[in-house]
Amino acid sequence: MASPLRSRPELTSVPTSDVTGPAYESHNLSVDLDSSEGARRILTGVDLEVAQGEFVSVLGRSGTGKTTLLRVLGGLLDPTADSTVSFRGEPVEGPPEGAVFVFQNYAASLLPWRTIERNVDLGLEGKVSKPEMRQRTAEALALVGLADRAKDYPWRLSGGMQQRVQLARALAVRPSALLMDEPFGALDAMTKSSLQDELQRVQERTGATIVFVTHDIDEAVYLSDRIVVLEGSPATIGHRIDVDLPRPRHQLATKELPAFLKLRRAVYDTIVDVHGQAGDVA
Amino acid sequence: MTAPITAPASARAHRPARGRSFPPLRGLLPLGVLLGIWELTGSEGSPYFPPPSTWARGLNRLWEAGTLRPAIGETLVTFGLALVVATLLGAMLGIVVGALRKADRALGPSLEFARAMPPAAMVPIAALLIGYDEKMKVAVVTFAAIWPVLLNSRAGVRALDPVLLDTARSLHLSWFDTMRKLIAPALLPAVLLGVRVAAPVALVITLLVEILTRVGGLGALIALSQRNFLSGQVFGLILVAGLFSFVVNGLVAVLEGYTFRHRPR
Amino acid sequence: MLRNRVNYLGLATMLAVVGLWEALVRSGVVEFQFLPAPSAFGPRIGSLVSSGDLVPAFLHTLQVTLLGWVLASTIGIVLGLLLGLSETAWRYSMASIEVMRAIPPVSLVPVALLVFGFSIRMELTIIIFVSAWPVLVNTIDGVRGVRAELVDVARMLRLSGLTRIRKIVLPAAAPAIVVGLRLALSLSLVLAVVGEMIGNPSGLGDALVKAQQALQPEEMFAYVFVIGLLGVGLNAALRYASARLLPSLAAGGGGVTSP
Repeated sequence: MASPLRSRPELTSVPTSDVTGPAYESHNLSVDLDSSEGARRILTGVDLEVAQGEFVSVLGRSGTGKTTLLRVLGGLLDPTADSTVSFRGEPVEGPPEGAVFVFQNYAASLLPWRTIERNVDLGLEGKVSKPEMRQRTAEALALVGLADRAKDYPWRLSGGMQQRVQLARALAVRPSALLMDEPFGALDAMTKSSLQDELQRVQERTGATIVFVTHDIDEAVYLSDRIVVLEGSPATIGHRIDVDLPRPRHQLATKELPAFLKLRRAVYDTIVDVHGQAGDVA
Repeated sequence: MTAPITAPASARAHRPARGRSFPPLRGLLPLGVLLGIWELTGSEGSPYFPPPSTWARGLNRLWEAGTLRPAIGETLVTFGLALVVATLLGAMLGIVVGALRKADRALGPSLEFARAMPPAAMVPIAALLIGYDEKMKVAVVTFAAIWPVLLNSRAGVRALDPVLLDTARSLHLSWFDTMRKLIAPALLPAVLLGVRVAAPVALVITLLVEILTRVGGLGALIALSQRNFLSGQVFGLILVAGLFSFVVNGLVAVLEGYTFRHRPR
Repeated sequence: MLRNRVNYLGLATMLAVVGLWEALVRSGVVEFQFLPAPSAFGPRIGSLVSSGDLVPAFLHTLQVTLLGWVLASTIGIVLGLLLGLSETAWRYSMASIEVMRAIPPVSLVPVALLVFGFSIRMELTIIIFVSAWPVLVNTIDGVRGVRAELVDVARMLRLSGLTRIRKIVLPAAAPAIVVGLRLALSLSLVLAVVGEMIGNPSGLGDALVKAQQALQPEEMFAYVFVIGLLGVGLNAALRYASARLLPSLAAGGGGVTSP
């Protein structure tokens, strides 16, 4: 497979006009979800600011509402009335233009009746001209290294490839922000690390803002500029950790840096700490 | 590779939703309103759409004349007998064609043709060959109700995990024990799923045969009432048929709950 | 069932069954008074064609079946989409549908007869009334069964309502809808024949009853055989069409549980 990075027409993101200000901003964000015993508060008082082009990971033990937070940012879920969430200065009401979600369950989020190519087309149809759509789809598929599988149906692809298709579908609409919900959680270790590196390259080229939900501490430290940890019940942001490792990063070299190990330790301690607290509560 | 991409959607679509609870009762509103309007605006003597109050009177008349109870009984007997025969025959045939590829290939086209035969068309032939009696009714209904059982049993055998047989071998179970303890319980859900589909079919065809041939039962009573333009009575009997089928569906749901009791919801 | 290659073994079995039937009747081992040998009613089909009895009856039944099926399917899919997509509509009508559905549809045939008399309208009415149910119910199930992930994908790509229905909901519900359509088609044929047998005096059902009344077993078997062929043909045509139009159905496989 040809390197997806070989010189290709620039796949730039749209948002260069208002580079000032944060990509995402939330104040006092709270979320209630329906449960069998009526509404239950999942998140409370979340204040989060994500700069343009920043890579922020959201960590936390399972059930703390990481996905819920991401869905609110993506406009798929409404927070309580007194919360404010904005994307590039505009309040989020429904999925905003320019922010695209990458779902954890890649198998369920691709349309099984469409080829890879047509799956990537989905976000462009009727919005751009046919030739442009064809070109953008081809670029996006090339970027994730799937140019030669364009005509295949999703079920013929491995899990890693299917997740790449989802990534390509997201990239084809040239988003300024990617919201990724444990995108590599279901993949094997090898595939995972190669997709991590691909994601880094994609961000480097497109300058997209990425909010990345994961439960994998190594992954969070390796990829992020900043990590926020959700804790408590209802959850809020308990820790914010800046990750100032040099870029570009490498699976081996970066992970052998003393700074990496120290950060990993620090993050691990906060999570374990969180575990302890949660354990006392439960 | 990932078959799941299509599997869940289609599996969900093809299988009758199990343990599906009855939808919210406020959904009965439109039906209630319709019946209310019908009652208020319908004219007593309408030959076409008599108001609901006349239905009850028609039924009452039949009950007092002593014709309603035997009719229900006859329908019940035909329905029950045919369903039992269809289940036994269908399961046996299904298991054979499921287990033996050769048998499947050999019998496939013939079964396919027989299955596509509209049960209604079988009625005159069955009447001619067997006569206008209970046996003919059971034969026609069995013929219609056998297919869901047969197809599901076949699919059940096909889906049996070979590991099951290996398990039996490694535990040194006898042939009889293998059948009794492993194969039969493994196949039972598939057969019962077939019965679940077959039961309403059997009821419908029972009524159909009765309407067509006027040989006993609720169907015959409906047809006779219609012939005499006793429309209130016709609607009342339809209601009884509906109740009948409601009970059948309820029993089937119980059966289904039993079948899937060990599976997570 | 068994597709793709010509199933010689199956065809041979079919011929063998017919041969056995012939032999049993001829040798007198089976002594039904009215059971004709295949050689007796087979040629009868030819003579019915040349006498001009069969073709118009066949065409009438075919036409009414297809017309009724198309109308029933349209009603079923449109209403099913509505009830499947709108939670409110579903809540305020599904219980009524469940209750109405419990009424065995054939019991309404006499009512249709009361209302419409002996006419093609009566035939179409009972076909539609009966065949729309499976399409309606399967469409509702299919639409409501569209995975939440796909709905999210549609939302996040900001697809408009109609686009969402056309590109996500309908294709995702297609396997379920097709099952409903298939059930509806066989029901349409059954009800067409029933309608002709007891109501509308034309078509194959009527011809069958007349043959019975005239005590013409050969003719009866000839008509039943033709009706069976029509059933097989319609079923095969729909199967072929759905495989061509929805290749992803074939990829998904499975789905034998429905009759």
